[in-house]
Amino acid sequence: MSLLPFLLLTGIGAIAVVALRERQPVATAVGLAALGLAVLAAALIRPDQSIVIGTTGIATTDYLRVFLLLATMVALLLAIVGEATEGRRIVPAAALGILASCALALSLPDPRVAVLAATAGGAFGALVALVPDAGRMGATVGTRVLRATAVSGTMAIAATAWIGRDLSDLAAQPIVFGLAYLAFALAVAIRFGAIPAHTWAARLTDAVPETTLPLVTAIGPAALAIVALAWADASIAPLALDLTSIRFVILVVAIASILLASVAAWIQDDVEHVVGYAIVGDAGVVLLAVAALDPAAWAPARIWILAFVVARSAFAAWAAATRATFGTGRIADLKGWAIRAPGLAVVLALVVVASIGLPGLAAAEARGQLIALVLDGPLAYLVILGTLSPLLYYGRLFAIGIDRTGGTTRVAWRPVLHRLDLTDVRASLRRAWADNRLVTATAGAGILAVLALIVSAGAFGGPQAAAGLPPTIGESVESFGPGEPVPASDAPSAAPSGEPVSPSPASPSTSPSPAIPSQAPSVEPQPSS
Amino acid sequence: MNPLLAAIALAVVAGTVVAVASRDARVAILGAAVALIGTPVLADPLPAPLGLAGRFVGAILAAYLLWIVARDRGRGRAPSAATGGSRIGWPAETLVAASAFVVGLAAHGLGAPAMGTSLASATGFAVAALAVPAAMTGADVLRVGIGSLLLLDAALLVRTGLGGTPDQLEQLITTGAIVVVAGALATLAGSARDDGTGGFGFSLEGRRRRRREADAHRIEPRIGDLSR
Repeated sequence: MSLLPFLLLTGIGAIAVVALRERQPVATAVGLAALGLAVLAAALIRPDQSIVIGTTGIATTDYLRVFLLLATMVALLLAIVGEATEGRRIVPAAALGILASCALALSLPDPRVAVLAATAGGAFGALVALVPDAGRMGATVGTRVLRATAVSGTMAIAATAWIGRDLSDLAAQPIVFGLAYLAFALAVAIRFGAIPAHTWAARLTDAVPETTLPLVTAIGPAALAIVALAWADASIAPLALDLTSIRFVILVVAIASILLASVAAWIQDDVEHVVGYAIVGDAGVVLLAVAALDPAAWAPARIWILAFVVARSAFAAWAAATRATFGTGRIADLKGWAIRAPGLAVVLALVVVASIGLPGLAAAEARGQLIALVLDGPLAYLVILGTLSPLLYYGRLFAIGIDRTGGTTRVAWRPVLHRLDLTDVRASLRRAWADNRLVTATAGAGILAVLALIVSAGAFGGPQAAAGLPPTIGESVESFGPGEPVPASDAPSAAPSGEPVSPSPASPSTSPSPAIPSQAPSVEPQPSS
Repeated sequence: MNPLLAAIALAVVAGTVVAVASRDARVAILGAAVALIGTPVLADPLPAPLGLAGRFVGAILAAYLLWIVARDRGRGRAPSAATGGSRIGWPAETLVAASAFVVGLAAHGLGAPAMGTSLASATGFAVAALAVPAAMTGADVLRVGIGSLLLLDAALLVRTGLGGTPDQLEQLITTGAIVVVAGALATLAGSARDDGTGGFGFSLEGRRRRRREADAHRIEPRIGDLSR
């Protein structure tokens, strides 16, 4: 099973970093080494493998490999940028723990178990609050993160448990399914810090370095969102129930997040809050996919999630590098930053293209498909404009950046190279690292920005992987695209959307295609409005 | 109704009442430990021995991690810190739990036949009714954290009541999730305890929006400084 090395590396790495936390340089080195090895382990994951444990098990998919590969690369680059800009204490441990929980959540076919793994990832994320201030303030912020995670986990566990059984004799179908769907959707919204459940994320943004934000508010919640999409497509969507009012609530949260987060980011006076609200705004698009309740949203949503995770991480890395370069994160004090540090301007330009997207880029097309699936008419145009509204705060950042009143003297951008002193190699390396911190931070942000751009364009086989099926125990059905015929091996569990299906509740995900529900309880369909 | 399961349900609810009502951190953790240890047993049929053993070990480990924080007196060698405790007292908390227990018993299955025991659902409702106020209105790390941990425990109980006994993999993942949540809580609580004399109490800074003041800028060296 090719997933096991990844799980072992991340799990043991997290424990090792925590155990070595008193010896900070060693812990950092171990954490970075574990993240580097985890990148290799993620690349070596093979799809279509499974292990049966009890009545369920874990299984690999191509999307699992792509997601983990990108998330691990992002975590490694953020760790390097974080180390170059400010100390990160136990962040590598939290990152490794979050990656391990994401791997489990995305490889478990049973959503009732997958949400538990995703919840554990949120608990790892709470520790990030202790990075800058391992005292009372960090504990207060971390407790709020932990509470949001617990509330979200509780709602997701209850929702999946409610639906994950035989509901042939269910009395009030639309109400029950609607409430379960709403609970899971709101659980995802809470984990992302979507508006109006954004308070905990805002306090986290107050407290932690920019480079740690994507771990807690993007990578970890993304795994829960993917589980939610698979669950909704397999359990709720095929029933063709009239859930208009429920979807309306989720749509309001999604649209509010998209629009208001941009406004909030625009009026902030420091770059870390801009990053925090930018993540919330893009998470609103993920919530649109949850609100779609349509298997057609499956692939675009998962493409968008990949681009979202990498692009927002690149933005966070840019913010950290900018803060370190100019010694301030206040936007008003960053006048002339783009003139003085053209490298950072190029990085932000790449981030803008990757996150806003150009026509033809996979992420932009996916976002357009999601909006078209959920909305039409003037509201659709409003939301399209809303997804372009980050241009407001990007424009503000660039406008500040070309303001010459802040000075035009270029900051040093070339690496500082010393002759290696073989009589004291350690001191020589330490000095080289200290002299090249800013260059390292900018380079790390640049690599992340390029990565974001190519992921947004559909590299790494993202669109193909995103169109695949959720993890399945047993024979592989990963290789066919969404438009191709279903293999004969899957025919027994297939049923047209809306027709009653009656799977065994004990093995709820034997063929969890978005279009071929297997977790759907056996209920009579109702006409959809 | 299985009397043994009823006794365990009673113990879980009693443990939760103690966990949310006590001001002594160690007693609160003991109550949470009773609730966590009793939860996996509230299933019919009982889980497989390996899964059950895993849950027991996980619950004990989770409680022990919290116990370490409450037991130690921190760097300041201050007296053992207290937690917020209940604002309405344990008798009122008991009545809340009893009411929720009855509601859970009556609503077992939530509209459809359930695959698990009704006692699990009832206990889950009772635990949730006690955990929600602790998690939402608590003013210290330990109370909010224990409330959050018990909230997850309540969801797991309701899940067992609705879906039946979890299989071994689910027990394993559940164990991991509970230990991770408790470990994170213990780390956060230890950090709060070691910072000043406020015990596990929240800081004002982390509760409200922080207004960022202008950052300090590097002062350019003056001629006089260079000539020294």
